[in-house]
Amino acid sequence: MTTLQILVDGFAISSLYALAAVGFTLIFGVSGVLNLAHGGIMLVAALVGWWVAGETPLGTYGGTLVGILAGLLTAYLTYFLVVRPIQRSNAIAQEEKEIFVLTGTLLWGIMIQTGMAYVFSDNPVTMRPLIPGVIAVMGVRTPINEVMIAVLCWVIIGLLWVLINRTPAGKQMLAASINPRGLTLLGFELSQIYFRVWTIYGVLAGVAGVLLASFLGVGTANAGQLTASAFSIVVLGGLGSVSGSLIAAYVVGYLETLTAYLIAPTLRPIPALILLVLVVYLRPQGLLGRR
Amino acid sequence: MTRAFNRRLLFAGVVFVLVATVLPLWLSAYVLGVLTTAYYFGVFSMSWDLLFGFAGEVNFGPTFLIGLGAYTAALLDNAYHPPVVICIAAGALAALVGGVLLALPALRLRGPYFGLVTLVAVLLLQNAIVIFARFTGGEIGMTVPDVLSVDPKLNYWYALAFFVVSAILLYGLSRSAVGLILQASGQDAVEAQALGFNVTKHKLAAFSVSALFSGVAGAMLVFYMGAASVGPIIDIGIGVQIVIGAVLGGRRTILGPAIGAIFLLVGTELLRPLGQLNTFVIAGIALAVILFFPDGLLGHVLRPRENT
Amino acid sequence: MNALEARGLVKRYGGLVAVNDIGFDLHDGEILGLIGPNGSGKSTVMKLVMGIERPDSGSVKLDGVETVGWPSYRIARAGVGIVFQHSRPLHRQTVLENIKLALLPDSLLRLTATAGVDDRAREIAGSVGLGDVLHRHPATLPFADLRRMEMAKAIARDPKVVLIDEPFAGLTAGEVETFSELIRALRAQGHAVLLVDHNVKSVAALADRVLAMYLGQQVAEGTVDEVMRNETVRRVYLGGTLEASQRNSGAAETRPSLLRVEDVSVFYGKAQALEHVDLHVDEGEFVSVVGLNGAGKTTLFNAISGLVPYAGTVAFGDRALAGRTPAAIARDGIVQCPESRQLFGDMTVRENLDLGGQHLPAEARAEQLAWLFELFPILESRQGQVARTLSGGEQQMLAIARALMMRPKLLILDEPTLGLAPVILEQLSKALERLRASTPITVLLGEQNVTFALPHADRVYLLEHARVVWEGEPAKFAAVMGEGYL
Repeated sequence: MTTLQILVDGFAISSLYALAAVGFTLIFGVSGVLNLAHGGIMLVAALVGWWVAGETPLGTYGGTLVGILAGLLTAYLTYFLVVRPIQRSNAIAQEEKEIFVLTGTLLWGIMIQTGMAYVFSDNPVTMRPLIPGVIAVMGVRTPINEVMIAVLCWVIIGLLWVLINRTPAGKQMLAASINPRGLTLLGFELSQIYFRVWTIYGVLAGVAGVLLASFLGVGTANAGQLTASAFSIVVLGGLGSVSGSLIAAYVVGYLETLTAYLIAPTLRPIPALILLVLVVYLRPQGLLGRR
Repeated sequence: MTRAFNRRLLFAGVVFVLVATVLPLWLSAYVLGVLTTAYYFGVFSMSWDLLFGFAGEVNFGPTFLIGLGAYTAALLDNAYHPPVVICIAAGALAALVGGVLLALPALRLRGPYFGLVTLVAVLLLQNAIVIFARFTGGEIGMTVPDVLSVDPKLNYWYALAFFVVSAILLYGLSRSAVGLILQASGQDAVEAQALGFNVTKHKLAAFSVSALFSGVAGAMLVFYMGAASVGPIIDIGIGVQIVIGAVLGGRRTILGPAIGAIFLLVGTELLRPLGQLNTFVIAGIALAVILFFPDGLLGHVLRPRENT
Repeated sequence: MNALEARGLVKRYGGLVAVNDIGFDLHDGEILGLIGPNGSGKSTVMKLVMGIERPDSGSVKLDGVETVGWPSYRIARAGVGIVFQHSRPLHRQTVLENIKLALLPDSLLRLTATAGVDDRAREIAGSVGLGDVLHRHPATLPFADLRRMEMAKAIARDPKVVLIDEPFAGLTAGEVETFSELIRALRAQGHAVLLVDHNVKSVAALADRVLAMYLGQQVAEGTVDEVMRNETVRRVYLGGTLEASQRNSGAAETRPSLLRVEDVSVFYGKAQALEHVDLHVDEGEFVSVVGLNGAGKTTLFNAISGLVPYAGTVAFGDRALAGRTPAAIARDGIVQCPESRQLFGDMTVRENLDLGGQHLPAEARAEQLAWLFELFPILESRQGQVARTLSGGEQQMLAIARALMMRPKLLILDEPTLGLAPVILEQLSKALERLRASTPITVLLGEQNVTFALPHADRVYLLEHARVVWEGEPAKFAAVMGEGYL
């Protein structure tokens, strides 16, 4: 029974990780930004969603939507208040911009975390499941919510794939990740493309945050760990590679689930960390990395 | 730098030391405690700046080296009770080894990847401490039987002395001929090589010196607090504070980060009445500095006519 | 014994052979000039000698000692100094401190410099003309002084061999002369100098011997006169014999002006890349801007396309372009196909073309695509291929086709023939002919290959060292410039 349990639980967790990581990779690949406020954005979505679901007549569904919107808004704030001013600043040397953006998003992430803790307190919160009840998956009693989350993650990832590979706007974003100057020469305003990417990212992070809240629960202390996990997965898969992130998410998700079930729940994050060290030493560009 | 500037700096330094030395006569034990910790953080930030400003390597996990020094000293003290000085020396040695280990990938990796390695190093150390909780006390931490002193005034003077000596050594190094070579290595490795300097050798040296000072400061901090635990020593948040202190004060100046770290720590204490929000305010101020004064508060003063 | 002896140097970058079997001797008290068009491998040869890159095969002997495989700091200590193409000062240090650095030994233990270092640094500074600015910081110095500082650093420890990469780039004519004097002084002191530059005239005036390179290979070696008169060298630089057929394009009709560049100057930091340039292109015209590398063609085009800031005016049609974003200028109708092509390497040929046509309605796009496939049939057959894997010539055609997908009013082509084999050049030439014959397109072409640039052109501008030095019809150009171009 345990094997099937691991398979099912691991799948759900990995799908959620995949969603969170894909957004992180997208922003890095197209916009060149390693957003260390990633966990913070997810946190805002989760907490706002939980509060609206519990404290207003909008209920769980309304809460989910508002939560996603909150995540989107926070993503916009991150771009317009922190990332873009640094990227456009004349006072910072070109070579230093990456590090400044990194530090800036880190600080912003801390501000979000402490700000949220002040407003909502430190306690982890869990959203009531969108669809209550239990179902048997391959003989394992699983909450329907968990199944729904996995399905939803994959639907969204699928939509994203279609967007990027089959629509003009998506092709433009892909081109921007390969050669931004080329796009400018063809008459595309990069600022518009970046705005679109951050919008998609905001929605992805928002959804991931809200789903995480209803699945495992989220607290302000998690924000840093969330960013670290997304970061590790993206590095493992290769910075800038969406398919790499997907594969890595499942590797990490299953490693963690296996560790939690078979060794000890407290040692959950260890194998992924060790894997990360190995990758960084032996193959820094990750599985499928480009840059 | 001009002679006049050096004289003004020396004057300011002497005034600072004199004032700082007599402060314990008026201040409460609590305030002295804050300042004592602040001085150790000053050394942390200066060591960080040596590595960043002079060797050009961004260390996002300075607490890896600090933690190695702190925990080695604590473990040794608990196991064999040697004199405190020996424990501190052992801590320094452990940090040195850690620094060399960190240097090896640094010399091969570029950009964000090295920063990654430093972050991972801290996470590994943190998790290792939690796993081997039997020896290290895990999350709760462990106490050490010896302390530097029980008198807050004496602790303050130990910390101040250490801070001043470190500042003189590190600043002197930065202004020396070797410091010049380090700056060249960090700013433009290809040019430094073309001028005949073995950049690898110099960067390793920078890592070693930074590790040494971090390790000693970490060990001394343990013997001041009487305990070693993850929260105040290794947590990523501490590393962030160190980096922020350096950025606030003005990177690549050694003295700027020292002032920045002290300012940060004192500022956080002053804002304590705000409760949780004090970190929020500090992070906000730091973000504002990054956006509007990327050279740091003292950058302009300590780096005359750099980029007119 | 020769100061420097290179034999059989080969360097590959992936599939590209940058340096292919290059060898030369360099004696004390001699200046050897290395010339060749862009992409010929000159800078790579310098990097190989300095140890910054390691040759795949071949040998470099310094005073008889093999140095291949040594790290560059060891080669530097053995007696080689290099002046890089781009100045690399330490911004936080004064001029004096920068030069002192060059005099320091490679020691971890030295805290202060020895007594003689300061005096020696001052001496060196004086010898290159920096005596008055010792206490200034690099950011406050004019461009030429920064180059002098690079020279001072390179010669500080009295190296046997001095490598100088593009010393004249960005300097005014007067400064070029002063710098040449400095280099002559080096020779007089007995140093062995290897000089690389695009400015063939200045190299010719300075060098004792010249080695001409093209596409990584040696095409001529000998005295200056010998090499300058060498047929292959002239062909490589000019592209062939200069013939310009008189264009019967009905040039008598007045055409409305399309592009007006007035008094445009561009500075890259301190270096002046364009100096008070005036240029105009009328509707339907084909204008060629001819000039060697470093003359300013790319800077001119980047200014027109809004990619670099400039002083002066650029007007398109009846409006000034100042303040428009580069993407807006492209949408307005000025489409540039840059030297670096800027293709989307990981996307297919078809995807690249589709992106070019995004601003058109679907039918117009399909129409344009069909027309382009007719113009460049090879692109149709390679539609599904990833752009990165195309040959150089195919990539160039793709870049031009992609630009044409935008239905530009003015097409700017920057060095389309760079690195292409003669057969491809012919195809390209024919395609341009058809383009001119079948559409009312206006073209502004920038080329150092004069043979390619002349036949299609209605008018020619000659750009030299950031200034327009000649303007007129192609036939006149052939007559007037033929001999003097090199």
